[in-house]
Amino acid sequence: MSANHEDSESSQTAMTSKPSASSLPPPEKPNAIQTRFGVVAAFWAVILFLGFPIWWKTTSIYRAELPIQEMLDWAGGKSCRPVFPLEIRFDTPSLPDLEAQQLLRITQHTLDDLNEFSAHHLRLKLADEEAQQATEKADTALTVRLLAQDDLSSPRSLLDADTTTLDVFYPPSQIPPPSSSISPLSSYIAGELQRLFAEEKAIMAHILSNNAMGANVNTPQSPNSQAQQQISPQLAESITRRLRRSMKYAETYHLAFSLFTPGSAPSSWDIESAVQAYISPLVQVLSPISNFTIDTQVQLYASFSPTTPPPEYDETQQVWTLKEENLSAFINAAEWPLNPSIGSGPTINFILYVPAPSQSPLLVNEGKATSWIIPQWGGVFILNPPSIPTSESTKGNPPHLPANALTPAFLTFSHQLLSLLGTPQTPTSLPLRLQTLIRIRAATLLLSASSTMGSLARLTESLPSIPIPATVASSVSATLSHLSSACDSLRQGRFMAALASARVAETEAERSFFEKSMVGQMYFPDEHKVAVYLPLLGPIGVPLVLGLVKEIRRVVVGWKARRG
Amino acid sequence: MPVDRRKAAVFGGALALRLLLLLLFPSLPDLLTGRVEVSTPVTSFKRLQEGLFLYNRNASPYDGGVFHQAPLLLPIFSLLPNAQEYPFPTALFYSLVDLLNASALVTISDSAQAVSGRLYSSVRKQIKWDGVVVAAWFLFNPFTIATCLGRSTAVFTTTGILYALSAAVQGQNLNSMLALGFASYLSIYPALLFIPLVLLCYDRRAQRSNITPSTALFVVKHFAVFLLSIAGLLGISLLIIGDLFALISATYGFQLLVPDLTPNIGLWWYFFIEIFDSFRDFFLGVFWLHLTAYAGSLTVRLRRQPLFVVTSLLGIFAVFKPYPSISDASLYFALLPLYRHIFPLMRYTFFSVSALLYASLLGPAFYHLWIYAGSGNANFFYAITLVWSLGLSLVIADTIFAALRDEWEQENPDQRGRPVKQV
Repeated sequence: MSANHEDSESSQTAMTSKPSASSLPPPEKPNAIQTRFGVVAAFWAVILFLGFPIWWKTTSIYRAELPIQEMLDWAGGKSCRPVFPLEIRFDTPSLPDLEAQQLLRITQHTLDDLNEFSAHHLRLKLADEEAQQATEKADTALTVRLLAQDDLSSPRSLLDADTTTLDVFYPPSQIPPPSSSISPLSSYIAGELQRLFAEEKAIMAHILSNNAMGANVNTPQSPNSQAQQQISPQLAESITRRLRRSMKYAETYHLAFSLFTPGSAPSSWDIESAVQAYISPLVQVLSPISNFTIDTQVQLYASFSPTTPPPEYDETQQVWTLKEENLSAFINAAEWPLNPSIGSGPTINFILYVPAPSQSPLLVNEGKATSWIIPQWGGVFILNPPSIPTSESTKGNPPHLPANALTPAFLTFSHQLLSLLGTPQTPTSLPLRLQTLIRIRAATLLLSASSTMGSLARLTESLPSIPIPATVASSVSATLSHLSSACDSLRQGRFMAALASARVAETEAERSFFEKSMVGQMYFPDEHKVAVYLPLLGPIGVPLVLGLVKEIRRVVVGWKARRG
Repeated sequence: MPVDRRKAAVFGGALALRLLLLLLFPSLPDLLTGRVEVSTPVTSFKRLQEGLFLYNRNASPYDGGVFHQAPLLLPIFSLLPNAQEYPFPTALFYSLVDLLNASALVTISDSAQAVSGRLYSSVRKQIKWDGVVVAAWFLFNPFTIATCLGRSTAVFTTTGILYALSAAVQGQNLNSMLALGFASYLSIYPALLFIPLVLLCYDRRAQRSNITPSTALFVVKHFAVFLLSIAGLLGISLLIIGDLFALISATYGFQLLVPDLTPNIGLWWYFFIEIFDSFRDFFLGVFWLHLTAYAGSLTVRLRRQPLFVVTSLLGIFAVFKPYPSISDASLYFALLPLYRHIFPLMRYTFFSVSALLYASLLGPAFYHLWIYAGSGNANFFYAITLVWSLGLSLVIADTIFAALRDEWEQENPDQRGRPVKQV
C-alpha cells in the first residue's frame, strides 16, 4: 500500500537528484524542491491534524474513577465489623418490675461471661422496655416467657416449635433476691439460651474465620482460635460438611420436582396440591432470602444407566436393596431429562422414584432408608406404593399417586430443601432456624460482596490498561452504599433489612466484576501493542519519517549556508 | 450535424452485446448479482431490491439492516418493472447508463485535457486515442460489462464522477460541482476528488477568460456549491425517509464504520476480521486517513495535471476503498486510455497486466474453493485479492512514474530518451 507512495517519492528523487554517475543531470530547480516540500507537508499535515487526534481518541481507555481505598477497606474488613446482636425479649407477666430487671441483669451478666465470641452476642430486654423505645426497633430473635409454676423443684423450659417463644417454668422460690449477683434461675436461662444459639454461633464463627474480613475483625478482641475452641470438633466437622453440601447462594433457585418410574404407571400425581401443601409455605417464608420457581415433570420408562449395579434382593427381609456406595450412580444423568439450568440460577432437583412392581419394595441398604440428599444438586425419594393386582399373577403400580401417598415424600423434600439451602439443624423451632438462615445469608453475602470489591480493586490496580466503564463505577458505588447500610442494619440487629441490602450489594458487585467490556482487554498486555501497530504503520511510517528528516536537513543546511 | 458513424457503431455494438448476453444467458444477471466481486454491501442490486420492497410497502427501507444505499435510488427504481419478472427493462436501463458514461468519456477525451492543460502540455501529445476508442475501451471492458449485467448501483457513482469530469473540462463548473455532489451523495468517497476537480475547473476558467480569478475565493465558492448540492440531495432524501439519523447511520455510517465484513476484492474485510476489537476504531481511522492522505499530496505533486490526479486517485480508491468492486477498477481503466501518450514510458506493463489477469481468473476459482467446495479457506481468497491489489497499485505507481517522467522530459528537452536509474 505504501508502494505507490514510495514509488512516487523515489521516482521523484530519481529525477530530481542524481540519476546516473556518468553525466550529471541538470540541477534541481527551486520549484521542484518546493513541490517536494509541499508533498511531504501534505502527508504530515494529514498525520498531525487528523491522524493524531484519531489515534488519541480511539485508543485512549476510559477508566472511571473507582474508590479503590474504600473498596480495599471493605475487603480487608476495616470498614465494617459484622456483629450480630440478637435481641431477646423477656416476657415476665408474673414478676414485679424490679425483680424482673434484676433477673435480667444477672442473666445478661452470666451470658456475657459464657460468651467468648464477641461478634455474636445476645442482648436481653424486657418486653415493656421494648415497647417504650419504638424507634430503631431491632428484629426480636426470641421471646422468653417466664412462667411461675409451684410444683417444680428446678426450672424447666419448653421451646415452641412453631413460634419464636421459649417458655421457662420456674419455681417461684428461685427468683434472685435484689442484692444477689448469682442465681440458679438466671444461670439456667443463660445456659438454655447459649445452647439454643450454639450451632448458629459455630456457623458464624466458621464463616467469619474463613474470610479475611472476619479474621481481621476477630483478631484484636477475641482471636479466632478462642471462638473455635468453644465449639466442639464434632460440631465444627458437621458444620463444615453441611456447608459443603448446601447450594451456593443464588438470587433465584429453580425447584424441579420429577416423578420417575421404569414402567408405565404411575403416570399422574397430585403434584399441585402436594406443592401447595408442603413446598409453597416454605418458599413463602424463604422469600426474603431468595426467589424460587417451581417446575414439575413426569417421566415414564426411565431406566437406570447400564453401568449402575442393579438392586439386590434380600431374601431374609423380602426387600430389594440398593447399596449405599452405589447411590451416586442412581441418577441416570445421560438419559433422564434433568435440566442443568432453567433460565439463570441453579436448579434444585427433587426426584420421586417409583420402582417397578417386580423390584418393590426398594430400600437403601443401611438403615432401610428411602431418601438421600445429593450434595449441591438435590434430593431423591423412593416411593414404594402399595401394589394393586392388575391381572391374575402380575402386580402393577397404581396409575395415579394421590396426595396422601405423596405426603411422606414431600415432607422429606421440604426437609431436604432446607438442608440444601444451608439451614442449621438446631434448634427445633423452624422460625428460629429460618431467622438463623437469614443472619447466615446476610453475613455470607456481606463478606462475598466485600471480597468481590477487593478483587475488583486489586484487578484495576494491577492492570492499568483495562477500561472501566461508567456502569462499573456506578455499580461499585451502589455496592458500597448497600454494604454500609447492611452493616448498619446488622449493628442495630435488623437482620431482614441487612439481608435485603446485602442481596442488592452482592448483585451489584457481581455485575461490576463481570462487566463484559472489561474482560475483553484483560488478556491483552502492553507488549502486544507493538505487534498491532508495527506491521502496518511501520512500512507506511518509514518513508514518511525519512522524507521529513530529509526535508528538515535540507532546511537546516540552507539556513546555515545563509548565515555562514 | 453529421452522425459520427464510428461512434454509433461502438455504442450500438455495446448495447447489442449487453442485450445479447442477457438473451443468450438469462441467468447471467442473477449469477453476477450474487458475486462478491461485483456486488458489495453498499452497491448490491439484491439489497436494493430488499430496500425497494420495504419502500413500496411504506416501511423504512433501512429496517432490517440489509439496505445501505442512498434513498434517492428507490423512487427511480420503483418506476422500473420488477426485475425478477421482467429483467429486460432494468438491463436496458443499466446499458443506457453505461452508454451515458461512455459519452461523457468521449467528451473528456475530445477536450484533450489529458495531454495538454493550462499549465502543462506533454511533449508526446500527438500519441493519443480519440474519444471513440476510449469509449470502446470502456464499453467492451469485461469488468464494465459484468458490472452492468450485475446491476451494481456503483454505476451511478461512476456516472456522477464522469459527468463531473466532463463538465469540468467543458468549463461548466457549476454542473461539475453538482455532478460531484451527486456522486458523493451516493457513496462518500468521491468527495475526496473535490480538490483536484476544483483545480481542473479553475484551470479551465483561467484558460478561457485569460483573467485568473482569486484561487481561494474560487475554491470556497465551488466548495459551497458542492456542499449545497449534497445538502439539497439529502433534503430530498429526507422527504422520502423522514428520519435523518436513521438515514445517515444506515448509509454513510455504514460506509464509514464498515460493520459488514462480507468478503470483497478489497483489503479491509480480512484485516478487520482479524484485528483485536479494542483497536478496531483506531485502524478504521488509519485506513480512512490512508485513503485521504493521497488526495492532498498527489494534488501538490501533480498540480499541473489535475485530471491525472483524479485518475490516479480513482485507481487508489479502487484498491483501498472499504467496499471496492470491479466497477471501481473499470472506472479507473476507463480513464487510463486518456493517457495513451505515457504508455511507452511505463516499465512494468507486462507484469502488472499479468497480475491483474491472474487475479481476475483465479479470484472466482479460489472463492469457489473456499465457500462452495470447502477445500480452501479464507486465506486463499484473501491472497488473490492481495495479488489483485498489487497489480492495481503497480499500474497506479507505474502511471504516476510515467507521468512524472513525462513532465521531466518536457522541462529538460535535451534529456529525452535517456535511461533513468532509480536510487
